[in-house]
Formats: sequence, structure tokens, C-alpha cells
Amino acid sequence: MRLRFDDSVEAFRSELREWLAANRPTPAAMAAEPSVSTGHAPEWARRWTRAMFDAGWLVPGWPPELGGRNAGPIETLVYMEELAKERVPRTTNVQGLGIVAPSILDYGTPEQVSAYAMPILRGEVTACLGMSEPGAGSDLAALSTRAVRDGDNFVINGQKVWTSGANYADFCYLFCRTDTSVPKHKGISIILVDMHTPGITVRPLPEIVHPEHPDLNEVFLTDVVVPASNLVGELNNGWAMANGSLAHERGMVWVSGVMNLEEALEKLLRDAPTFTARMDEAERVLAIDQVVQIAIDTMAARCLGYRGFAKLARGGSAPEQALMKLYASEVRQRLALVAAEIQGADAVEIGTVDPDGHHAIDEPQGTWLEQYFHSFANTISAGASEIQRNIIAERVLGLPRS
Amino acid sequence: MDFEFSDDQLDLRDNARRVLAAECPPSVVRSVYEGDDTAPQADLWAALVRLDWPAIGITEEHGGMGLGFLEVGIVVEELGRVAAPSPFLATVTQLMPLLSSAGAAEHLTRIADGSLTGTLAVGEHGRWDLAAVDTTARRAGTGWVLDGAKTHVLDGATAPEVAVVARLDGTSGIDGLGAFLVPSEAIAATPCTVMDPTMPLATLALDSVEVATDRVLLEPGDPRSPDALERAIHGATTAMALSTVATCRAIFETTLQYAKDREQFGRPIGSFQALKHRLADMYLAVERASSLAYFAALTIAEDDERRAVASSMAKSAAGDCQRLVVGDGLQLHGGIGFTWENDLHFLLKRAKSGDLLFGTAAFHRARLATLLGLTP
Repeated sequence: MRLRFDDSVEAFRSELREWLAANRPTPAAMAAEPSVSTGHAPEWARRWTRAMFDAGWLVPGWPPELGGRNAGPIETLVYMEELAKERVPRTTNVQGLGIVAPSILDYGTPEQVSAYAMPILRGEVTACLGMSEPGAGSDLAALSTRAVRDGDNFVINGQKVWTSGANYADFCYLFCRTDTSVPKHKGISIILVDMHTPGITVRPLPEIVHPEHPDLNEVFLTDVVVPASNLVGELNNGWAMANGSLAHERGMVWVSGVMNLEEALEKLLRDAPTFTARMDEAERVLAIDQVVQIAIDTMAARCLGYRGFAKLARGGSAPEQALMKLYASEVRQRLALVAAEIQGADAVEIGTVDPDGHHAIDEPQGTWLEQYFHSFANTISAGASEIQRNIIAERVLGLPRS
Repeated sequence: MDFEFSDDQLDLRDNARRVLAAECPPSVVRSVYEGDDTAPQADLWAALVRLDWPAIGITEEHGGMGLGFLEVGIVVEELGRVAAPSPFLATVTQLMPLLSSAGAAEHLTRIADGSLTGTLAVGEHGRWDLAAVDTTARRAGTGWVLDGAKTHVLDGATAPEVAVVARLDGTSGIDGLGAFLVPSEAIAATPCTVMDPTMPLATLALDSVEVATDRVLLEPGDPRSPDALERAIHGATTAMALSTVATCRAIFETTLQYAKDREQFGRPIGSFQALKHRLADMYLAVERASSLAYFAALTIAEDDERRAVASSMAKSAAGDCQRLVVGDGLQLHGGIGFTWENDLHFLLKRAKSGDLLFGTAAFHRARLATLLGLTP
């Protein structure tokens, strides 16, 4: 155990910082053309993703031909932290780079890699992830969007919901039912669907705060014809590929969440003296105690993340990883709630969107109360907190299934 | 940066666990709770001394093993896991660091060879902050005279040597603080009747206690003394956090096993979602506190400037952890955990003691409010 980083890691950090300082898009350029959805890549974002790809900084753990430099886990961790500090995302299409492209690289054909994965890495196209349905949320395997083979094509009918970025994405990594005669987990396949294919209708679902920039969508598919060659991996093997993502970054998905938390905490610590100035001593003590608790929670999130990372980096299993999504999202929610409550009646005022307008990238922005409502995105999506507790109880603690 | 133990450290942990499984089964703890027979406790300490555990954190020049705070912490955790009745915590995590900073070679050598145990008397009036120390030290001839009273001193009635924190008359805050090594014969100790006899406490009265110059550990008025004292407190606080969280982990693991074994309504009670979610939250509380305790241990081992914040966060999280785990651990055991004959209560009471010594969660949150600049 040690706190300090090796000199070679510090050298890596310096090289990255220098490169970022010289090449990152300016805040002014980002503000001039905000990303309004995780499927939307403004011109600056496309150029930036491409620049990172060309310089081997897009996915450092990958080889140069995939936009990396064969960096090790600790360097990748440092990379994540430095990038978050810069407040500039690798891509605005987080699900494209984080899940879709790596999955196609893992399971797709060479043609799919060159037509779909590489353009994502070069910042040329964006992707969305078609998973949830009206009848399949936490119980994702119950999905019923149907793909039926018809000659050289699949014909797809059904409906997706909560599809982030579908309103701008170029294609969808779509989970479909391809066999209804087998148990639900065994009849699911993944098909790449061009979002401009006839029969697709996208209806944005404005969110409870800042409805002017919807990221979530309903996607209706009616007799959508897709070439059979767009099947990813084996037929009916989609469920096994559902968790495919950047395997070597698996121990680090928490980093951006924790950095976001730390940034929000800094803001709370800056705001607290103003918020508590109107209070009498008794109320101030209660308010400050809540802020301190959040500060402890925030440090704990980082330490938990580091602990899980250390175990994974040695090739072991890291139960801490299962805790991170649950813990970081719930702390983020408590933080915003505490801040809004301490703020008092002023908290109800509607704020303006930050000029750099990164709705989709989940930065601390908006008023505290807006942040509180927005924080439910992370306690509900990608396995709600209740599902996370089931997963921890059953898979980590080994408790019997109900 | 690495938040996992090295192979050597993991070996130390495994060895310590093996040793304690043999030398400190629940029957030893029970003997302390129930009997007047002090032999099992003495045998345990003799075994730990044979294994050189007291020497772990002492430099080789003083007859120690030359390992660091992390290794001491590993042993503290293992002792906490089994609620071991042992002078280790007070001697090695509370007294020893002060002897080290004072360069008290003779005493360090005796701790390393197991012939000396001791403790640290810092708390007064039920408070743990150094600023609350009222015990005074005044010069008299070539030596010093101490007057005051200490509360909740771990092993305070049995430790042969006590490091007493005192201040120059007329000083306040941390200015003017120092520490003296006082033999127990010079102190009037009143043992407390405590719920957890594995963490025995005493109230100490110092009534014009004369201390020779060679027993000054940190001289009052020396500008280096307050800092050395604060470092010692950070270490003792972090060790208490490590101990408490380890006890909580043992409670959690015992409760988890019980939830898998105990059947009602024809199935294990751990298959009910109401219990699953509580066990998941207990697990999270243990890992949260454990991670913060390791972070604090690292700041102490590496003399990182964040050690004040980190040790208070660790102790606060340990307090939060025991609050949840003690309550839910007992509740989920049902009636069996409520009985004297079940061993669970040794752990429950140990965790509570650990929370109360060196500051509760709320005490450390109040400290943090100052350290984070939220209160003046």
C-alpha cells in the first residue's frame, strides 16, 4: 500500500497535461456549440475525438491503431483523472465510445469493425444503445422488440425507451428478441441498425429539469429492414454480450463519477459560508454537520474506488466495484439535496444552463435543486439502486436468490 | 499509488489470523467476561510476545522489527476481529509512538521484548481534544510536578507505564502541551466498571506527581511538542478506527453467515429482499469505513499532510459503521444474538467501545468542520 505514484507514472501525467494544454478545445469553442444530447457530437467534439485518436490519447490502454498507446492500468487511471480535471470529455457520445465501439471490437465482424466501431473512435459517427423497453426495465431480459429473419435481412418491430442520444445518433446497438421459444435470456440478439432506416421514429422524452435539451428518447421500430450481416456475434447470444465494455477500463468506470462528486463538493464548500450566513448558530451547526458528512462520503468514494482498482489491477476480483455505482450515485444525490436544503428558499429558483452546456456529460451544473432532480438519472439508470443492492447481496455476498 | 497490501503484508495478515484463531478463540474472551481467571489473557499476551508482535513498529536499532504503521494496523485489525483482550492497542498504538518521537531507547527496547506495556492518558472530562487538557505540569527543581485527572484511559489501571499529557500552567489550545512517562505507582487509578472488559478503562488522578527529567517525552513549551503530540493522536485515532472497523467486519460476516444458515418459512432468511438490502448496506458501510481507515493509515505511514483530515474521517466513518452494523447485526440475529451465551455480544460491545474511545463520529465531524474551514 502506498499513496505516492511512481516517477514513470508522474512522467506520463506530465506528458498528458502538456498535450492537453496544447490541444484541448477551448471553453469558448465548446460554449459556442454545446452538445445537446449524448448522440450529438458538435464539430469541436468530432475534431477533438479525432485528435485524441490520432495522438493515441483516446483509449490509452489500447494499441495505437485503435487510438491508444498500450498504457497500463495505473496510467489509464491517471489519464481518467487528468481528463476529468480538464473538464473536457473524450467524446460527447459516451455510450458510443464506452460500450458500443468496444463491444463491436470484441464481438463484431471485421466489416462491422471498419464500418461502425472505427468511425466512432475517429469521432465521425455517434451511436446509441437500444436496451430498455416499456416492459423491460430492471428486468431487461424481458425485452420484446422482435427481429425476424427474412432472407438476407432481419425485419424488426418493437419499441425502445430511455434510449440516450437516439435523437441524434447515427446508428443503434439494438437488443432484439430473435427466439421466443426459449427462456428469456437465451433468445436475445444484437443488431446494428442505421437510425435513418425507414420505419424508425424517435420521440424525445424531455426530462424533469431543462426539458429544452432532451437526451432520453422513445424509439419506435415498425417493419425496419436491416441486413442480416448486421448481426453482432452469434444469433441468440446477445445477453452474454450485454456487459461487454472496455474490459481494461472496467476498474475505472467510477473515476468520472467520483471526480464529478469532488467537483460538486468543492462548489458546496464554496457556497456553504454564503448559505449559512443567514442562519443562527444552532441551525448553522446542523447545516455544517451535513456538509462534513458529505465531505467524508466523497473521500470514501475515492478510497473505495482506489481499493477496488488496486485489486483489479493485480488481476483479482474487486467486490468494491459492485459498490461504486450504488454509492457514488447515492452520495451525489445526498450532496445536491443537502446543498439545496442549506441554500433555503432561494433553492427553488430556476437557473440558467452553464455556458458550456454539457447536459449530456453529467457535470455539476444548474442549481442545486436542479442537480438534485438530475441526480436521479444515476440512481435509476443502468441498474437502479435497488437492483444494485440485489446484485451485491447475491453475487458478492452469496445470498440465495429469492 | 496502491491501495492493496503487498504480498508480505498479506502474509502477515494471514499469519496473524491463524495465530489468533488458535490463541484467542471466543473462550478466551469469555474467560475475561466471566471469570476471575486472568491466566488465559496472560497466556495470549505471552504468545503474542513470543511472536514479536509488540516489536513490529519499533525500529531495529531499538530491538524492533522495523516495520511501519501499516503493519501495526494489520495486527490491530486482526486483534479487533476477535475482540482480543490484550495490551497491544494501548501499548503499541498509543504509548509507543510517543516513546519513538522522544527517542526513549530503553523503554522502546523493553516494549519490543515484551517486558513493558503501557498506555496514553490524554482524555479529560470525557473529551478527546488536546485543547481540553487541563492537567498541569510545572517545573520543580530539576524535574516536573503534574496535577490533574484523566478519564477513559485504556488499560489505565493495569499498565505499568502511562504517558500523561499535560500543559504548562496558563497555556491554552495546543500551546504549552507536553507528555511525561509516569510509572503507575505514582498514579491513583480507579478502574471503571465497563461493559466490554476487553477494553478496560480507568480514571487516573495525578496529585502532585513528581516526574524526573529523564521521563519527559515531549517537553511542555518546546515548540515541537504540540506537533508530535498531534501526530501521536492521529496514529492512535486511526488505530482505533482500524480496530473498530475490523470488529464490525467480523459482526457483518457472522451476521451474513447466520442469514444463509437460518431457515424460516422453508427458506434461508437471507433470501428475503428485506434482509438482502440491509446486508448490502452493512457491507457498504464496512467497506466505506475500511477504505477510509486504510487511507488514514497511509497518510500516517508516509507522513502525508492530509493525516489530520484522514484520521478524523476514518474515525468518523468507523463510528457510522458500528452504528449500523452493531444494530443490524443484533437485529438480524434475532433472539439468539440477544443471549449472553452467544459470542456475538463480545463483538457488539467491542465495536461500541471502539467508537467511544478517541472520539465518536460526531466529535470527529466537528473537528473536520474546522479542518475543512467551515467553522472558525
